[in-house]
Amino acid sequence: MGVEILGLLGLSSVFGLIGLVLAGWMAWRIVEKAGLPGWAGLGAILLTLTGIGTIVPLILLWVFAFMRWPRDEMVGAAPGASSPASPAALPPPPAALADRRAWRLSGLSAGGPVALSMDGTQPTYVLTGAAAQQANELSVPDPTVGQPHARLFVSGGRLGLEDLGTPGGTRIDGARLLPEHGPRDISAARVIHVGTVELALSRP
Amino acid sequence: MDPVAWLLGLGSLLVFGVIVVHLLAALVLIIPTWRICTRAGFSGALSLFHLVPLIGPFIVMGVLAFSDWPSGEAPSGKR
Repeated sequence: MGVEILGLLGLSSVFGLIGLVLAGWMAWRIVEKAGLPGWAGLGAILLTLTGIGTIVPLILLWVFAFMRWPRDEMVGAAPGASSPASPAALPPPPAALADRRAWRLSGLSAGGPVALSMDGTQPTYVLTGAAAQQANELSVPDPTVGQPHARLFVSGGRLGLEDLGTPGGTRIDGARLLPEHGPRDISAARVIHVGTVELALSRP
Repeated sequence: MDPVAWLLGLGSLLVFGVIVVHLLAALVLIIPTWRICTRAGFSGALSLFHLVPLIGPFIVMGVLAFSDWPSGEAPSGKR
């Protein structure tokens, strides 16, 4: 019986020792990553072997969490410092180029095939059932399309749509768009209904 | 009183006490570790591994020690 207890104690000691070494090693690395000397982390773990037990390492954990880390000062340092810069200290990547592809609305109205293009040369376009008379007017010849019917907004890589309150109505992917909704982003929409005319939205 | 019921009640109380003490002890570790994880660029929820008895703290420390910190580390030369 005594041998078994001694064996169990020995096994526990071995596991405890392995855990202690592992914890000390990891604490060393963690503290180093924060810019502090690694021995401080190892020392904090080894303190658990002493009579003061776990209280002091626990306090040190709280101090480490809320203290100012040297890493933060290095990251905030101006580029060109003598030390190699960390990834966070590098300048941000250049912003993505604006997507200037034109938007296309295509479908079939009572007056024949409709193919409308919005290339962004105008900030707003007006969908109308009448013949287009201005550069920003897009004609959808159909009796159910108002004159004007809706307004389209091109901004950056996004397209907006606002219903102007005609009886024919406007739908975005089947959902009714009312004038009180204001402009809605339809960049991700697939099908727009103006009156009874179905227009497929694409961006070739 | 039935001794079996008495023992069951005492056992339940002991288990409840152990769970409460474990949660409180874990909380004392979770709060600073949450801050360390977020400062390192990880999710603070990583610190909830402290709720796992015995190996939980080793998992958190292992992640912090052996993976690259998303929000940057001190340069090797300065260590």
